[in-house]
Amino acid sequence: MDLLVLFINAAVIAGTPYLFGTMGEILTEKSGNLNLGVEGMMFMGAIGGLLSVSLLESGLGVDVAPGLAVLLAVGVSFLAGAAGAFIYSVLVVTFRTQQNVTGLALTIFGVGLGNFLGDFFGRRSDTGIVRISARAGAGFSRLDIPVLSDIPYIGPLFFNYNILVYLGIAMAIVLALFFKYTRIGLNLRAVGENPAAADAASIPVAKYKYAATCIGGGICGIGGMYIIMVTTAGGVWIHNVVAGFGWTSVALVIFASWSPRRAILGSMIFGALRVMPFYFPANQLITVGFISFTMPNIPMQFYAMLPYAMTIFVLIFTSIRPNRETNPPGGLGVNYFREDR
Amino acid sequence: MTIDAGEMALVYLHCECYKNVTLDKLHKRWLEMRKVFYSAILLLAGVFFMSACGGNNDDERQEVTFENVRLAFIHPGNIYDRGYTYRQHDGTLAMAAALGIDPETQIRNFWTRLSPDEVTTSIEEAIAWGADMIFATSFGHGPPMLEAARNNPDIMFHHATGNLAVDANLPNFHNYFGNMSQARYMSGIAAGLRTETNVLGFVAAHPNSEVITGLTAFFLGAQSVNPDVRMYVQFMGVWNNPTLESQIAQALIDQGADVLGQHADSPATQLVAQENGVWSVGYNNCVIAEAPDATLVAPMFVWEIYLNEAVRNFVEGRGNPTDFIRGWNEGMVVLSDFNTNTIAPGTVEAVVTAEAQIRAGRNVFTGPIYGYRNIGPQAWSDTPEQLLAPGEEWIEPMSAPSWAHRVSGIIFLN
Repeated sequence: MDLLVLFINAAVIAGTPYLFGTMGEILTEKSGNLNLGVEGMMFMGAIGGLLSVSLLESGLGVDVAPGLAVLLAVGVSFLAGAAGAFIYSVLVVTFRTQQNVTGLALTIFGVGLGNFLGDFFGRRSDTGIVRISARAGAGFSRLDIPVLSDIPYIGPLFFNYNILVYLGIAMAIVLALFFKYTRIGLNLRAVGENPAAADAASIPVAKYKYAATCIGGGICGIGGMYIIMVTTAGGVWIHNVVAGFGWTSVALVIFASWSPRRAILGSMIFGALRVMPFYFPANQLITVGFISFTMPNIPMQFYAMLPYAMTIFVLIFTSIRPNRETNPPGGLGVNYFREDR
Repeated sequence: MTIDAGEMALVYLHCECYKNVTLDKLHKRWLEMRKVFYSAILLLAGVFFMSACGGNNDDERQEVTFENVRLAFIHPGNIYDRGYTYRQHDGTLAMAAALGIDPETQIRNFWTRLSPDEVTTSIEEAIAWGADMIFATSFGHGPPMLEAARNNPDIMFHHATGNLAVDANLPNFHNYFGNMSQARYMSGIAAGLRTETNVLGFVAAHPNSEVITGLTAFFLGAQSVNPDVRMYVQFMGVWNNPTLESQIAQALIDQGADVLGQHADSPATQLVAQENGVWSVGYNNCVIAEAPDATLVAPMFVWEIYLNEAVRNFVEGRGNPTDFIRGWNEGMVVLSDFNTNTIAPGTVEAVVTAEAQIRAGRNVFTGPIYGYRNIGPQAWSDTPEQLLAPGEEWIEPMSAPSWAHRVSGIIFLN
């Protein structure tokens, strides 16, 4: 197959965990909560999703069907991520702790909890690892849609991903429509922009903040589950598996300027930058269609830096031309005291 | 109203907390609180002074025995990597069992210490704990270990994979390593016989001579049974990053590789091979449980060969060599069991033949070998030169591997 098609495939697969993390964080930040615990919630989602399938399998002694495994993993990882976000909400919304510090604490907690549970259950199992069966793992492998997947170029480009990729993109579209067209979505944006005004309009600010933060955390959790099931292949716990995806997602929120539609594009670009050096290696004659070229030898570290450099450029450009659409929510990072009005 | 520095700090803190409180009120508050403040400082100073005095009372060391020797290990990862550090710790436990050392009280491990300051802090902690011997297991631990060895002549420092001991020539600083090239070569034979596309892929950590020596030996092994084989190598720039490892492994498979090798700490490469229905050779841990249809075999270190000897020498009052290397014949490097479901027919026989030659003293790096001298820009020049003449051997000058040339057929992708 054409190298370009394989590259785009790999980019989409590499970008999807960013998409989940970014969507979750956008939803959270739209409510005015700056939750820096994405990395931690991803770890919690990863271990939750993996353990739900693997413990069920070892408990019942059977291999779970692929469809059930996907449902279970998505559900439990969502709950695990939401549980992390719930801790954050209680501290920030109810007890009004400082948001950055609370988010960082959640990261430390989530990373520790994920690694602890993964290593703990690994040690207890007969094989020394936590893993799901090959049958359950098949639910996370590439779909083979009859007819559609077989169309040359179109098939491999659009109809050949695992089901979570489609889930992520569908969720991003739904989220964009939700923010723009639904009453609840508009209320949520009001809460994030100006909680006092929203409160005056009898919108229950605390409830909205809780709901948005917890659902956002749940979506981040699905992203963590995706990393363990798809990115590092096949649902086996590996120590420190999330390794920075959460932080990159936080950067992507700024890159996407709080828009779920731009988050789709941004996460695919970040995924592409991540796998680009492996598909366009240095000093090799590369042929893409009719063009042949040779890449210079650029160090890995340069590619690793690119997403962050791009985020800085986006920040500069959006601040040159102030635009309401690309501004962060007005109340972001500030806790709301009704008595402070 | 005069304000001094301590007062300023308190005023600042208070302004943060009580934004409505006036400066006068703050000053009053400071006057109330300053006695508490000063006495707290005095108390802290006192505690510090007493602990500094108290630290020096074990000047006269008891005689070291197996029952009281204290060993500290500094690792780049932790045992859950199911690779390099996992294997290192296996060696530690085996040594403790063999020598009757209690791993709970006499051994202290420092996990995931990578940067020099982390290592320095760990060494200080180990010394404060009373370590007699300090072992560090990653190449990057070298400079802080050497520094500490200079400053603490009574404590023995042992650095695996390092290359600083020979030049430093201190009585208490040692390098040790296993001749991994021999086991790598044999695992390469399994890869060379297995491949159908004649393209191997190699997920490599850092572009340093330890990694390049290892992957070259792996390739030479594959080439010895399959002259048409080529190998793509992609470097990561870190020792352990499962996501990066799996993305690189996928890219190598997409570029046509059907047997993957690795010099990275996690089993991610093996899992990707399993997922894609291709084969793989592990490193330091044969992960048949994780990748039953992919893993062929894994070359592994047996660290207790050195640890037993080093600890025994120290306790019994003999010195240790500055630079220690053992290989296949001494059991310092081994191959894991073959995965009989995946290896190509004839693999065991070919490896046994090569093993006999190596046991009889055959050097893995024996000419003719063609390639490009040194890595760096010139490694991509078009005409390979003869690196080793037919029959010529390249002898490793010290324990740390130092082959740094690109052999024809190996393609560095970055």
